[in-house]
Amino acid sequence: MTARRPFGLPTADELSQYNIWDSYFLPLQGPDDRRFANDMARSIPTIDKAAIKRLCVFLHVGLGTADRATETRLRGDPAAILAPLKKWPDRLLGMMRLNPMDVRGSLDALNRWMRDGPMVGVYFASSKQASLPCNHRNFDPLVKRIDELGGVIIQHTWFKTGGKDSAGESTPSELAELAKRFPDIRFVCAHAGGEWEKGIRAIRACPNILAETSGFDATAGFIEMAVRELGADRVVFGSHLPSRSLGTELSKVLSADISRADRMKIFGGNLRQLLDPILSRKN
Amino acid sequence: MQKLDRRELLGGVVAGAAVGLTTATARETASDKLPPWRAIDTNVSLFHWPFRRLPLDETGLLVQKLKSHAMEQAWAGSFEGLLHLDLAGVNSRLASACREQGDGLLIPFGSVNPTVPDWEEDLRRCHEEHKMPGIRLHPNYHGYSLDDPRFERLMRLAAKREIVVQLATTMEDGRTQHRMLQVADVDLTPLPDLVKRVPGTRLVVLNHKGTGPEFMQLLKIPGVYFDMSRVNATDGVARIIRTLPTGRIVFGTHAPFLIYESAMIKVEESNLTEDETTSILHRNATRLISRDAS
Repeated sequence: MTARRPFGLPTADELSQYNIWDSYFLPLQGPDDRRFANDMARSIPTIDKAAIKRLCVFLHVGLGTADRATETRLRGDPAAILAPLKKWPDRLLGMMRLNPMDVRGSLDALNRWMRDGPMVGVYFASSKQASLPCNHRNFDPLVKRIDELGGVIIQHTWFKTGGKDSAGESTPSELAELAKRFPDIRFVCAHAGGEWEKGIRAIRACPNILAETSGFDATAGFIEMAVRELGADRVVFGSHLPSRSLGTELSKVLSADISRADRMKIFGGNLRQLLDPILSRKN
Repeated sequence: MQKLDRRELLGGVVAGAAVGLTTATARETASDKLPPWRAIDTNVSLFHWPFRRLPLDETGLLVQKLKSHAMEQAWAGSFEGLLHLDLAGVNSRLASACREQGDGLLIPFGSVNPTVPDWEEDLRRCHEEHKMPGIRLHPNYHGYSLDDPRFERLMRLAAKREIVVQLATTMEDGRTQHRMLQVADVDLTPLPDLVKRVPGTRLVVLNHKGTGPEFMQLLKIPGVYFDMSRVNATDGVARIIRTLPTGRIVFGTHAPFLIYESAMIKVEESNLTEDETTSILHRNATRLISRDAS
């Protein structure tokens, strides 16, 4: 667009001042480089328009969390796992996808990719083949080890009307059960449960759970309720790019009736605080 | 990476610097000094969403928001039209609110439910008494499918009156609906054939995600438009504009249910040409409402 008022957005300078860090970036690996490269190409103009400075990207590490062709590629060529981090080192922060159905393999992978490698956190997704509800005891040794390494834990959650998509999908209530077993470890509740009015309530009594903002329509009032019930210190921004739009995700925080100080925390301050131990350790 | 200190956490913000556009405190921003785009919002609703209070569900607040973004018009339906049976009362309140609180911005689109007795009188009042240029339908909340003969009769009467019909395919993501009121998205499959049978149809499909075979098929038919409030993916709006016949996508926010700026930013992030932007923001809607919809 030309020299008109940005449509719905502050100016680039104003956005830059927010110092936005993204906790939920979703370009996808595939059986070759093209899928990830294409998703990055779709995303980078938007990332730059929003002045998003760092993005947590969720990477398969060969634990059976991806489709068969992608798994075959990553197991045969482990260098491909880190290729995105090497190609975009100033943008991407690696979060590895673990498989709670394979505890031994996941513990080994934590040593390889987080202790000895560049990963700074973990994403537990929902999939038919490689997920369990996060209150399952298999999570306990993984959570302990991630905490020893200083990594950030992000857990996919949804409360879906009509029930879960798969038996392994997690709800915010199940995350609250896990978080109560580890009161000194912080967890990120991805998507705030989707149905956020219930999701926020489910995690409200667990001060060690933060709500992540992406993955559902830009329904008005979400951030206001999250800040009211959890406090701004417990909310982190996610873009869900490129499969969701900046309009959907940025507007939730940008347009919320909250203070600028709270907006700054949600847009990046809280995530930087979560990442600080492991980023400091990895220098 | 160095340990982050407070200065870094604050991103180097200087006290008193410009703030975001949409905070409750309206302070001047750098972008306010730039000329605004002309825009018509084809998809807002007045009154209260049945399941929660929304930040802009008071008409005066919604109008303030429209003004803050220099909207020229907003085509307004009523949340009351989803579940109320006295739609004559619903439409009367809608017309009054638009007239008395809209400052000329709100254009009322009344609700008509062809499954309730004497619905034709509701249609007549919308057009003749309230001077509405269109109506808004909610087939899923009102319990009929698009192959229902009553729907075809309604479409024929609307075409005869030369009014715009807005058809909301959904109001919210089915995954987040109240468990005691689960409403499936409207099945649009019968629509292409019906539109071909009803000449003069001017139809806007609201709240569709802009994907799927029925979407592609409908956009080939003259007189059928889509609003983009729920189109997703960062390149979603650009994709549908550039792969489909020109002039069929109109700007809509689905406010106040959705955050007002969500749809605006979708347009901004799409990196459209000036002509594409003008088309989606107001030219297509202007053509549609001025009866030059083919």
